[in-house]
Amino acid sequence: MNTYYAANLLIYAGIDIIACLALNLQFGVSGIVNFSFIVFQAVGAYAAAILSLPPDTANGGFQHYVGGLQLPFPIPWVGGAIAGGLLAIPVGFVVLRKLRSDYQAIALLVLSVIANTVITNADKFLGGAAGLALVPPPLSDRIDPNTENYQYLYIGITLVAVVIAFAVVNRVVNSPYGRSLRAMREREIAAASIGKNPVNLKMTIFIVGGVIAGLSGAILVGFIQIWAPSVWLYPETIILFAAIIVGGRGNNIGAILGALLVPVGFEEVTRLLNSNPNIANLGPPNLISALQWVAIGLLILGFLWFRPQGVRPEPRMVFEGGPD
Amino acid sequence: MNIFVAAFGFGLVSMSVIAIAAVGFTMQFGITNMINLAYGEVMISAAYLAYYMNKAGISIWIGMVAGALFGAVFSFLLNRFIYAPFMRKGTANLGMVIVSLAVSLMIANLLLPIVGYYSVSYQEDAGRLIRIGSIVLTRDQIIVIGIAVVLMLGIHALLTYTRLGKAMRATAANPTLARNCGIPTQRVIDSVWLITGALCGLAGVVAALNADSFAIANGSAFLITILAAAVLGGAGQPYGAMIGAVLIGLITELSAAAWSPEYKEVVAFAILVLVMVLRPQGLLAKRGALAAAG
Amino acid sequence: MRGFERYKFVAALGAMVVLAACGGGGSTGGSGLGSGALLVGVIAPFTGADAALGPAYYAACLAAAPSINNNGGVGGRQVSCQKFDSRGEPADGVPAANAMIAGNSNLMAVVGCTSDEAAAVAPIIDRAHIPMFCMTGQTEFNKTTLKYFHRLVPADIYDAYAMVGSALYGPGHAPYKKAALVFGNDIGSQAFVTPATNAFTKLGGTIAINQPINLAPGTSYRTEVATMLATHPDVILTEALGAAGTYLKEVKTQNGGQMIPFIGTSATIDPTWFKQVSDAIGVNDLVKYYAGVDLGYSFSGPAYDEFITNLNAAASTFADAPKYKQRGSTLHLYDGIIMTALAMNATNSADPTIYNAKIKEIANGTSGATVVTTYKDGVAAIKAGKSIQFVGAGGLNSFDAYNNSVSGYIWVTYDNQGNEVKAGQMTPEQTATIAQAGGI
Repeated sequence: MNTYYAANLLIYAGIDIIACLALNLQFGVSGIVNFSFIVFQAVGAYAAAILSLPPDTANGGFQHYVGGLQLPFPIPWVGGAIAGGLLAIPVGFVVLRKLRSDYQAIALLVLSVIANTVITNADKFLGGAAGLALVPPPLSDRIDPNTENYQYLYIGITLVAVVIAFAVVNRVVNSPYGRSLRAMREREIAAASIGKNPVNLKMTIFIVGGVIAGLSGAILVGFIQIWAPSVWLYPETIILFAAIIVGGRGNNIGAILGALLVPVGFEEVTRLLNSNPNIANLGPPNLISALQWVAIGLLILGFLWFRPQGVRPEPRMVFEGGPD
Repeated sequence: MNIFVAAFGFGLVSMSVIAIAAVGFTMQFGITNMINLAYGEVMISAAYLAYYMNKAGISIWIGMVAGALFGAVFSFLLNRFIYAPFMRKGTANLGMVIVSLAVSLMIANLLLPIVGYYSVSYQEDAGRLIRIGSIVLTRDQIIVIGIAVVLMLGIHALLTYTRLGKAMRATAANPTLARNCGIPTQRVIDSVWLITGALCGLAGVVAALNADSFAIANGSAFLITILAAAVLGGAGQPYGAMIGAVLIGLITELSAAAWSPEYKEVVAFAILVLVMVLRPQGLLAKRGALAAAG
Repeated sequence: MRGFERYKFVAALGAMVVLAACGGGGSTGGSGLGSGALLVGVIAPFTGADAALGPAYYAACLAAAPSINNNGGVGGRQVSCQKFDSRGEPADGVPAANAMIAGNSNLMAVVGCTSDEAAAVAPIIDRAHIPMFCMTGQTEFNKTTLKYFHRLVPADIYDAYAMVGSALYGPGHAPYKKAALVFGNDIGSQAFVTPATNAFTKLGGTIAINQPINLAPGTSYRTEVATMLATHPDVILTEALGAAGTYLKEVKTQNGGQMIPFIGTSATIDPTWFKQVSDAIGVNDLVKYYAGVDLGYSFSGPAYDEFITNLNAAASTFADAPKYKQRGSTLHLYDGIIMTALAMNATNSADPTIYNAKIKEIANGTSGATVVTTYKDGVAAIKAGKSIQFVGAGGLNSFDAYNNSVSGYIWVTYDNQGNEVKAGQMTPEQTATIAQAGGI
């Protein structure tokens, strides 16, 4: 285990935590089954990328994209977050009707595939299928990104982002907004009868979730320095949903646990299988790699079977002063 | 040759392939409430079964029947051993979607080391070209259109005239009420998985034949088109799925003729987005797609 | 030691001192080759949509290892191969690369890194100072500053020029006048279109249609083919599309059973492509109407013979390995691994910061270098104090300042068994004309 790999895992953990917190807000609290979630992360990544990249004539002009404003940190991250929030407005408008939740889900799933196809084919807009490469990492003009110190720096700024995201999400969940929404989830008619407007509330939460999702994308693109449509295909959303379910829906700690278990834990532990050459070289070359995915599927099924409420179930809120 | 008329002809073939698959998918959703994301993988498994039979010299049409049988049995077993137990445990709808995704991951990756990663083709002479005006189709393509028409009529007959079909519609509308009226829901559900599984398997072989060559990745790619058709027509509505298939099949091919072909799916999906904005429950959905008071 | 032995020992010691003091090749006094096993990492997609790429590179390593190990290893150290699945996308490639480096302090070289993930993993491997041989034609690497990056496959534009050359000057037909360009819209594909268009049109041809097609699996391409046929091209320039058989079969069907001549990129020299397309349109039509371009491999000679022996032997671990016997990427990566081992011998060092630069030198050769074709010969020459140039199974390499190696293109076809057959070659004048017209 060296610094770079450890840093990689920690930073990915931070990104996934932020993403799961956002998804938990949209889904766990607000009840919207946002199967297009990964698009929100993607839009944040693209926004951060075009804000921090030089104009597309740079580096030999081999890629074509809009923007290229070469702005310094933290503007690209803020821009990514805002982009995520902006995307939530039209998407929310389309789906925040009275729709069955799982029907909503497939509609959004199809939307995310549409988005991926459009971006892939629009060559000059965001780099097309090749995406955007050579994205300058944050603060790379101050510290050389190829040093260990930079890794610590990146872990630091990711941690700050995690703390901010957690604080925001906690505030929302415990705010009057959040309480109203939980009331609505449990008893929508009753909530409506005391004058709460569910659609407005849901939209607000949806936008906040989008902002945080966009931030996670900005952090990811700053680290891997490249972003392409292959990174945000629809199964990525489902992996994050699995994380929420495994960790426990509706509560932030559950979201964090889920992020650590599924996208980081399951996916990296199965990669560790490979590190033993006796296992790695068994059978045809695709075998172990394919079995890693089978293992991930089994783990998800196992959790859903044995612990469907998640590792940390949503705590029931009990309030004093009920009817005598 | 008028390219648009030719494209219309190709659209007929596309819509036939999509229709067979989409109707099965949407019936699964409508009656059992499952968004079965493993549908595409069952399709591709059936396609590979037919491929191995075809390599052994068996005709592709027999392979189609075998694919349908395989799809029926495989889907039935999937439900019996995985989906139904989870449902009985009370897993929510969303949880079932995740279950089906886990299953699809497992099927695809269990197949990968067995069938390999490169594309394969059926050995099938598509037959002579038949020209009807500017429409140019091969004999095989016309047969596929015919199969689709027969199946759609068959589904219509099943749902309208048979006891089983009416029981299916009742279960789709209101399972509790259906059970209370004495409809043997468990048997209905089993039949649904068998019938839609057969459609799924058959669709897999047809789609593979239509695509000229296929690999495992085709499964999940095709799933998206099926989802689009189902959503367009109103999820859970078999007739809606047929209409959705017609629209998507035609629009895809016509727009490929009118504009740059790399955008052809985008155009079809754009129509879908429009429909979702204007009529989010889909073209044919009844109130069932709308949540009751939230 | 008895007297006579002691004399021999001292003489040998003295000789070694003298040799070490001599300049001009041979061991440059590195700190020794170390001990323990050595690892070659194969980082590539093994799952996902591009799962077909990884095994070809893995086969290269499986063939290279015995060539080294059976001839004394690297200072006795045995080389082994390990796969690291990038899953075909950069966000998974990054942790794969980091895990590979973190978990293995004995990495001698890395091979693979395709267009799917190279842009993300190459900097990581470079930072760890491990020589890598990447299989990406992406333009961004044409002038890379990464010192440990080596590219043995030419940039895509050279393929494009060779294809235009085939269309204009190729054997067996009059120069084609109208070309249809049918390339996919994914990462690796679009770099062909612009140079091909420029070159072809400036030299008198017309582009009947440029048709970027959506590579989503399961698409049937019927309307695309109809549109393309309506422009009546003489020839189709295309690449190794994912579902290679689909488009071409449709062309044959809609054209009334008559195939149109088509020219493919070097990626079409591939056993799986041959199988898919011959399944789709039949072997006879494939042989008759297809022309390809490839780097000038001879598929013969001592280097190739050793390669093929070890490749066939690798079938015990990886059954499909022998299929890659004519795959350019497999040949080149095989050479890259052997050159790395030779570089280690030549610098007598297991430290990549020392032996990395030697790789390029061994590939290009310095003046007066002894040409060797196998690892065994190379080690012997090094021990004898000579500087060497390695010409391996993939032929001559010539690294430019950016560690890109471009050797001559030839025109090829297939025979009925799927073997590559040389059909002709561009003259240097023709190459220059096209490159000028296309503009590099």
